[in-house]
Amino acid sequence: MTLTERLGAFFVWIVAIAAAVFLLTPLVVTVLVSFGSSAVFTLPPPSLSMRWYQRLMTLRGLAPALVTSVQIAAFATLVSLVLGALAAIALARTRFPGRDGVVAFLTSPLMLPGLVLGIALLQGFRFIGLIDVWTSLLIAHVVITIPYAVRTLYSALGLFDFTLLDAARTLGCSPAEAIVKVLLPNLAPAFITSAIFAFLASMDNYAVSIFFTNAWTKTLPIQMLTFAEEQPDPTIAAVSSLLIALVLVLLIVLERAIGLRRITEV
Amino acid sequence: MKAGRPAFDPVLLLAAPALAYMAVVFALPVLVLILRSFGTPTGPSITAYVSFLSDGFNWRVIGNTLRIAALTSLLCLALGYPTAVALARSKGAVQALLLVAIILPLSVGVIVKAFAWQIVLRRDGVVAAFMVMTGIWDQPQLLLFTESGLVIGAANVFLPFMILPIYSVLKLVDPNLQDAAATLGAPPLYRFFKLALPMAMPGIISGTAIVFSLAASMYVIPTLLIGDRFQTLATLTARAFLLMRNEQLGSTTATVLLVLAVSIVMLSSWAVKAKGDSR
Amino acid sequence: MSADALLLDVRGASKAFGSTTVLAGVDLGVHRGEFVSLLGPSGCGKTTLLRIVAGLLGADGGTVRLDGADITGVPTHKRGVGVVFQSYALFPHLSVADNVAFGLRAQRRPADGIKATVARFLDLVHLGALADRPVRGLSGGQQQRVAVARALAVAPKLLLLDEPFSALDRKLRETMQIDLRHILREVGITTVLVTHDQEEALVMSDRIAVMSKGAIEQLDTPEGIYTRPRTPFALGFVGHSIRIAGKAGQTTDGVLTVDTALGPLRAKGSYLPGSPVLLAVRPERVVVGAPPPDVPSNAVTAALTDIVFQGSKVHLHFAAADVTLLVETNRIPPGLSPGATASLSWGLADTMLFPGETA
Repeated sequence: MTLTERLGAFFVWIVAIAAAVFLLTPLVVTVLVSFGSSAVFTLPPPSLSMRWYQRLMTLRGLAPALVTSVQIAAFATLVSLVLGALAAIALARTRFPGRDGVVAFLTSPLMLPGLVLGIALLQGFRFIGLIDVWTSLLIAHVVITIPYAVRTLYSALGLFDFTLLDAARTLGCSPAEAIVKVLLPNLAPAFITSAIFAFLASMDNYAVSIFFTNAWTKTLPIQMLTFAEEQPDPTIAAVSSLLIALVLVLLIVLERAIGLRRITEV
Repeated sequence: MKAGRPAFDPVLLLAAPALAYMAVVFALPVLVLILRSFGTPTGPSITAYVSFLSDGFNWRVIGNTLRIAALTSLLCLALGYPTAVALARSKGAVQALLLVAIILPLSVGVIVKAFAWQIVLRRDGVVAAFMVMTGIWDQPQLLLFTESGLVIGAANVFLPFMILPIYSVLKLVDPNLQDAAATLGAPPLYRFFKLALPMAMPGIISGTAIVFSLAASMYVIPTLLIGDRFQTLATLTARAFLLMRNEQLGSTTATVLLVLAVSIVMLSSWAVKAKGDSR
Repeated sequence: MSADALLLDVRGASKAFGSTTVLAGVDLGVHRGEFVSLLGPSGCGKTTLLRIVAGLLGADGGTVRLDGADITGVPTHKRGVGVVFQSYALFPHLSVADNVAFGLRAQRRPADGIKATVARFLDLVHLGALADRPVRGLSGGQQQRVAVARALAVAPKLLLLDEPFSALDRKLRETMQIDLRHILREVGITTVLVTHDQEEALVMSDRIAVMSKGAIEQLDTPEGIYTRPRTPFALGFVGHSIRIAGKAGQTTDGVLTVDTALGPLRAKGSYLPGSPVLLAVRPERVVVGAPPPDVPSNAVTAALTDIVFQGSKVHLHFAAADVTLLVETNRIPPGLSPGATASLSWGLADTMLFPGETA
């Protein structure tokens, strides 16, 4: 390696390490603050304490918000996986002019400001007289999650060798059996990946949700925003730390199961 | 099947539920929103836009939106491109660690991150301490409630969306290309500008487009990191609906924002395609 | 010194990845204008040696001299060593002509000179008509020719070819091998080819270096390697052979008697009585029938198991005492069919003798 190459490689790694530190900073800060004893956020924490975790139990509104968020995210993920898988199969199996346009349409909510979508849906729901918070949230969140399902499953199906289905049928499988025994296992990583992305996108959404929640039914991000405004203390950090731990476990399981590299492939 | 007019394939019907859902619940409401911004009690007109654009304050809002989005994209690119290169060059445990550092923050809520940055950007926060320690600043300064603070926070949230598209392009580049250029007598810097950079360009363009439109439409991050004094199209839209109950104004700003985001995306995909065709 | 005539002179090149030794002190000398092939199975270190010569990989030890100058520490782009990669490594964002011009532009040659040079080399590889095409749509054969033109355009002192035909189908491969040999001879460039395909090495090379386990087992002309392989590996890797293991007996008048499962056989040479040896003979040297009485020969009796007709030649598969004997003839011997027993014989001069493997 020449000197220029060495310098280049050195620079690349310095920036990469800086970027990793930069990306992890808010996470580390959150965890540190959650274990601090002081009620005003200070770094480093004066002494360690579990009081904010104990306070979690007594925090009103947290549990219902968590339940609402998980319910909405789970149902939205399920619905969008079914709709998205059907659409992805149809699009991967056929060729017609404008197919790329259809894929772009189904994934376009990813590229639109969430705020605009929220407002558009708010006006739409008002027009048809839909006022139930839970239903509104679910309908809106399916729009948010469908792009993840379509994008991942469509690109995975593009790599799938459909002659495998014919092979299975020559070996005595019915068309349905062939799909269940050959197609689905091959697509399992894509299903898992898109499910995780869809679930997290729904769990984390505030830009759309903020238009449909009210004082009684809130999603977790909206509830946390409320806490932050009403009683800003490290309890929020404690909630976040628990979520970070959960996601970290999820990522480790994922790395073991299918490898993190494959997630970025879609 | 005859050439020219392919027969309808019944498999296509599988796409119908998703298409119908997205048409009714996504396309229709967005279309209505756009039409509404042109609607007045007396009929369609562009009055709302005329009055919106004749107000100097609103121009400052548009300027704020574009400036913050551009600065955020720039910071993300400066950090994201080398990181994507490192990610493509590394393997095994190092690569897994880098990926965790990129994906883990993706799964942590924006609100949580914004709060952490509120702490970090304070006058007694980590960044101020670092700047004083390295001698760049004489004394601690407040970064919170400044545009710099907002850009740092936004770049932090959107950086993965810059790294991943670039990485996915770099991953597909034949590593022999660099070797081939070297055997042809090309020095390292020439290889970087004539080979590495052009090859990464589709990823750089789409990453920048994603970060730009995300940063242009962010709402919670400015609310928490800079406050009400500083308005962008997104915060103004939210205020119009949630606080001012001025739906005409909200529809107008939302449409301006939409047009902005859509044109960035279309421009970038056109640029990527143009590059692809020249190959 | 004979080293003065060498264009490429590699001495003691060694390389290890972790605890795996890939090259164990390899010497390789290539004369000016010569075509040398590095032939061996995957993992034998041939590609590692090529990358060390190109400067794409740093060796752990040894020196590389090119045209008299020590280039061991010189970076790739200052070496003047051209490479045609296995994947061709064409720059996908550039046209055919721009690919060929890449190296010339990188070296800041004058623009009008570049244009002429590019045209000349594209004509050389018969691609003049495709100059402005993107490289993406080209066929495998066309891509290979672009890669060759690109490597030659910068006028390297030495050209390295890394398995350049492996991506082509068999038929195309054969014509491309002859075409490329032609082009390279016209340019008069010294070339080192890395391949695992013995036929390719035989067709193209002036000399072949047979490599195994990080070392060169034999460096010789194609004919020399075929008729006088120095090791059992060289014997087995180039061409077919009949191999019969046995134990050395007595040596009389320079002829060793070997005890084998097929009875006593003889070969020129001498080994300690009782030591394991390997006898070998090329299939086309064996005749079906009794040996001529006046020539010293070996003869065995074996059963015919299979007849494989291959157009210009016929392969007869015999078996005797767990040994497979392949015989190559011009036509099927009359009256011989699978199951029949026949006598096989070959001259003492055609019998090759190697040290055997200790059990």
